[in-house]
Amino acid sequence: MIRTVTLFALGLAATMLAVPARALQVVATLPSLATLAREVAGPHATVECLLSPRQDPHYADARPNLILSLNRADLLVVNGLELEVGWLPGLVRQARNPKIQTGTPGYFDASLHVLRLAVPGRVDRAMGDIHPGGNPHFHWDPRAAALVAVALGKSLGALDPAHAADYTKNAAVMSARFKALAHEWTQKFAALPEAERKLVVYHDSLVYLVDWLGLKQVITVEPRPGIPPDPGHLAKVVGTVRTTGAKALAQEEYYPRGASDQVAKLTGLRMAIVPGGANFGSGQRFDDYVRGLAKTLYEALHGAP
Amino acid sequence: MLALVFTTAQIGHLLHYPLAVALTCASLGLAVARPALAQGAGPAADATPTSAAADATPAGLSEAELKALAEGAAADASSAPAAPATPQATSSAALSNPALSLILDTALAGYSEGKPLLTGGHDPKRNGFNLQQLELHAESSVDPYLTLQANIVFAQFGVEVEEMYAESLALPGGLQLKAGQFLNAFGRINPTHLHSWSFADQPLMIGKFFGSEGSRGLGAQLGWLLPLPWYVEIKAAATDAVGACCARSLLGGNDLPVRSPADVAYTGNLKTFLPLDEDWSLTLSTSGQAGPNASGNGNRSEILGGDLYLRYRPVADPERRHLSLQVEHAVRARQVPGRSLVDHAGYAQLVGALALRWELGVRTEWTTGVAGDPLDPDWTTNRQRHAAQLTFYPSHFSRVRVQATLDRPTWRSEPIWGAVVALEALIGAHGSHGF
Repeated sequence: MIRTVTLFALGLAATMLAVPARALQVVATLPSLATLAREVAGPHATVECLLSPRQDPHYADARPNLILSLNRADLLVVNGLELEVGWLPGLVRQARNPKIQTGTPGYFDASLHVLRLAVPGRVDRAMGDIHPGGNPHFHWDPRAAALVAVALGKSLGALDPAHAADYTKNAAVMSARFKALAHEWTQKFAALPEAERKLVVYHDSLVYLVDWLGLKQVITVEPRPGIPPDPGHLAKVVGTVRTTGAKALAQEEYYPRGASDQVAKLTGLRMAIVPGGANFGSGQRFDDYVRGLAKTLYEALHGAP
Repeated sequence: MLALVFTTAQIGHLLHYPLAVALTCASLGLAVARPALAQGAGPAADATPTSAAADATPAGLSEAELKALAEGAAADASSAPAAPATPQATSSAALSNPALSLILDTALAGYSEGKPLLTGGHDPKRNGFNLQQLELHAESSVDPYLTLQANIVFAQFGVEVEEMYAESLALPGGLQLKAGQFLNAFGRINPTHLHSWSFADQPLMIGKFFGSEGSRGLGAQLGWLLPLPWYVEIKAAATDAVGACCARSLLGGNDLPVRSPADVAYTGNLKTFLPLDEDWSLTLSTSGQAGPNASGNGNRSEILGGDLYLRYRPVADPERRHLSLQVEHAVRARQVPGRSLVDHAGYAQLVGALALRWELGVRTEWTTGVAGDPLDPDWTTNRQRHAAQLTFYPSHFSRVRVQATLDRPTWRSEPIWGAVVALEALIGAHGSHGF
């Protein structure tokens, strides 16, 4: 009896403690980040993504199955700037994984590697749902992606020195490609007349895109971030569109359409509905995602070819 | 009850001006608000578009255009969070300081009886204004191995350490250790706080079996995340078995000394989560608690429970609608000299966010009693209570809840009616909540 119990206990302990050799496990919160990680890592790591591109990352549910992915992870790639603060911190705490806690080499905060825009000087919630560290929606921007890719290469190399050269090389190739892509579309948008570079956005989440493409955001449909439009503000939006001559209204597909559609109908704005992230599940590459995004915006601003 | 007062058209009208409704509710309360909402919101509603239009029609919008915009805004049903359970941290200055938040819960209540028989320590149980609680929450990593969480609750006449515990981050084998004072992992409601509940009061089951503060104690808990392809977690805790607030089926107010390991309370929970698909989630769990009771030498109490949480939330829905069914039931057996006393309690609730910013919920509760129960003389027969609530979230940091209850304790000839208007407001950085 004692022997059986001892054997069982040993077996249990072995199951719990055994760490078989395996490829690096990378978990990313957002699909665009997962897409970058997959390409930097190449064949040396498996990459999982916690959210789908159809989900608003501000309002995800902290589903317990995500704990399992986090428990296995060697590297956690987060957007940062408190975009995931409503659901991720509790999951990371419950993951029982010291490798991915904040401040460890396995916790990769992408926002620390980009040039942040719209950093508020002062924060008060009366201003709406403001992110104190700056606007967190940089994942659209290939210039930011180039920086993130290079930093990811370094992080992966530190965790897996045997393949560090591969990670660095992949990241360098991506970085060059993203920069070229960024330049190509900057040129293309720069050729548009000024009136065709003005747009309205729903949530204040396209500032990096606006900055990259040299656009002018004339107003947001939300009066303040996270605060829904009321008729008074929508009247202001319509007035602003008419005075500025803005051509397009851009928003992620997970935002409500009612107010935007009405504004578009009254003003003739063309709607540019963009996916909230790269389609990681289907294997889409970051370049293709961004190219699609830029094309949608270009056509909305300039009119279809 | 309140909802019946409005016609559909009125509700539709009010939807455009939720803040006016919220403020009216908060300041006037249900009893007063019934007439006042209809009248009070009217002028506000009439005034708003005119002034807004006057302020904001640089391009001279026509009446028809304004109407179309109002329809557009209504179609979105306004775009704010349906989930107060996921507030966002705010201050980047708090990088090294603990995340601190203050949560105010205050309510205006009215009951058909002066003593409404509520069992929760923070229930709005007085006719008139109630401070349910002001919760100060702090949390932070201690070092790479531990986090610390504290929930300190201020009431009008005192301060209480509700929870204060350290939790491990880095134990191997899927283990996680918690030590300090904490709410026991029994069922779904017990381990959570007032501000994540869907109703303004605590379920009777918690008050009857555990006490006004729920089952909690000083002690330690070990959790094990099983190495399976789906989420299964086992938690086992040992805590002190005393406190009328927190262990009323055990030693209750009798602060007896601990002489052996049999003199503390043991609580266990086995929980599994099944992501049925991207939109549907199911959580099932079973819990048990055992410990000494105050009826005599070696006599013990046991509580066994089961719970279910089924949630539908289409992830891509811009309106962020969801519908959740939550059911808990528990059975309690207390050994007393010569025999065992067995009674039951439970509840079922259905809560849905049917439009952005708006939530609707119904709950039904049941408890049974034992005739002549010497350990629980207040609960000797059956009781049922029903509640309905409507909640408006101005943002994810505040909510206004209107709740109506019908309580039927069978030992009373008349049922007890109640109505509550509760306001919650959160400031600071508050951590994310569990599923």
